[in-house]
Amino acid sequence: MGSERLRESLVGYGFIALPMAFFLLFFIFPLGYAFYISRYNWGIFKGPFVGWDNYRELYHDSVFWHHAVRNTLVYTITVVPLQMAIGLGLAVMVNNTIRFRTFFRAGFYFPSLASSAAIVSIATYILASDGLLNKVLGQLGYHHTDAWFAQTSTVLPSIIALNAWTTSGTLMLFYLAALQSISVEVYEAAAIDGAGAWRTFRKITFPLLKPAHFFVAVVSIIGALQMFDQSFIIGGTNGGPNYATMTVLLYLYNRAFYGVQFGYAAAVGLTLFVFIFTVTLIQRLLFGKAEVA
Amino acid sequence: MADEPVPRIPAAIPATLVAEELATTGEVAAGTAPAGIPGRERGDRIRTVVTYVALFGITALFAIPFLWSVSTSFRTIADTVSGFSILPHHWTTIGYHDVLHKYHFGRYTLNSFIIAGTVTVTNLFLASIGGYAFARLKFPGREALFMLVLGTLMIPDQLRLVPLYQMLVNMLPKWVSHVGWHDASFVNRNGVILISLVSAASLFLMRQYFLTIPRDLEEAAKLDGAGYFKTYWRVMLPLAGPALAAVAILTFQGSWNSLFWPAVLLQSESQHTIPLGLTYFQQVYTTLWPQLMAASVTAILPILVLFVFFQRYFVAGVAASGVKG
Repeated sequence: MGSERLRESLVGYGFIALPMAFFLLFFIFPLGYAFYISRYNWGIFKGPFVGWDNYRELYHDSVFWHHAVRNTLVYTITVVPLQMAIGLGLAVMVNNTIRFRTFFRAGFYFPSLASSAAIVSIATYILASDGLLNKVLGQLGYHHTDAWFAQTSTVLPSIIALNAWTTSGTLMLFYLAALQSISVEVYEAAAIDGAGAWRTFRKITFPLLKPAHFFVAVVSIIGALQMFDQSFIIGGTNGGPNYATMTVLLYLYNRAFYGVQFGYAAAVGLTLFVFIFTVTLIQRLLFGKAEVA
Repeated sequence: MADEPVPRIPAAIPATLVAEELATTGEVAAGTAPAGIPGRERGDRIRTVVTYVALFGITALFAIPFLWSVSTSFRTIADTVSGFSILPHHWTTIGYHDVLHKYHFGRYTLNSFIIAGTVTVTNLFLASIGGYAFARLKFPGREALFMLVLGTLMIPDQLRLVPLYQMLVNMLPKWVSHVGWHDASFVNRNGVILISLVSAASLFLMRQYFLTIPRDLEEAAKLDGAGYFKTYWRVMLPLAGPALAAVAILTFQGSWNSLFWPAVLLQSESQHTIPLGLTYFQQVYTTLWPQLMAASVTAILPILVLFVFFQRYFVAGVAASGVKG
């Protein structure tokens, strides 16, 4: 019996050996290695030890604070409520007993699945100076002739609108799961009391979704803080025009590959990581029970 | 302990959603929406009409960008600047011909298929064998090691960019050349594959599914003298079809759309994937709209086809993976 148990343990270790080696090498080890690199003046190759200098420099880096951090926060603060509201709205509509429910759910979810590079390409075309949107606006008597992604003042709001659309499908699924866990009796009671649709939603559905709100908010904040694809495609490595699309993650990429300052980039990465980790931790401590289903 | 509570970390939250979605046969369980309200039938009918109008309106709004890009992908450039028309004046496939042959999207598509296909296969194998061990075999430190796996979900890409780049582009080629292999491009392309061999989300999904399979069949296999690997391969894997499908689709879609790691690791143009090709194409050729739309349609089409046929696995997949960036 003892040898059978030993055999089972050894087989167990054997089966998880490859996945565990992978996670240790490409997730756990890089954690420490990133910190190690951040303490050096590290170009492409390792340079002299500089202690906390990279972090000190980051503290005084105006591009980082005035553009990367500022844009990322503006983006997060606006896109998160928007995509949550759209996601919840879609979920409530699709949760009705309606025909073609699967079709609608699929249609609303699909933009979340399509390649971000393709979506941005299509958006670039539609938002071009002679694109579909400007043509439609012109028909409505509002003449806008600039490309929306080319102007400093319109590029970030355009990305916010774009991503609120593409991410709402995913959030809809999370909300849908939560909505389906609300029991029918609650609604029946509300109906007997003569509550209308809007009142039922405001007084019953919305408060009952509280755990889902927290979960969806955290998932969506963490996603927003790591925005990269749209900025990289539209603004290039420098987050143009004029740093208007520079985000923290793009700045990290920029410092590593444009500035060839890997030590500094590692410091940016660790700073963002600590920030995101804190957000997650606060959420856990305050709302440990936040579950969707 | 077959069904101990799942540790409370982000990925654990939608676990029930994963299981439910894989268990149902497509349509969401009905009967959860509010029942008809007595004495309000007229109001109900109006509400129903409003709901349908809204639903179809939103669907149209969601579809217009995609339909417009398809329409443009079959136009000539002249057609894109002449007056507005919903359909092309003269249908042409020159846009597709150009991007596939002139602008190397044929190669990018192949690269994307190679990378996404490879990591899908490795994810299926490593996640299922690891998931089986974590679900069924008893060994000291099992729970702690599984927590470690789930913990990797909290380590974001931005933290790994610098160390992984250093490991894959500086250290690995050096080691490889020590054993007499000088092909650095091999290392670069495979760097993207190497860092995606398996994901915690895949492993988590497999383990959760294995936990729901009754033990009877394994016991029978054991009595027949089957070893652990044979039990995994011949008994458990055939039973895990839905979970394997979800892992395959989740992995393929994620890898196919991925822009960040290819942008970091793929050095030469001949290795680029479709999203990377799209990025550079639209930064260089700013007004070749039919070509850009043809390339975009090419990037979206495989995922659309997968989605049409395997919708519920996508839904289970997103539940396990969270939100894309």
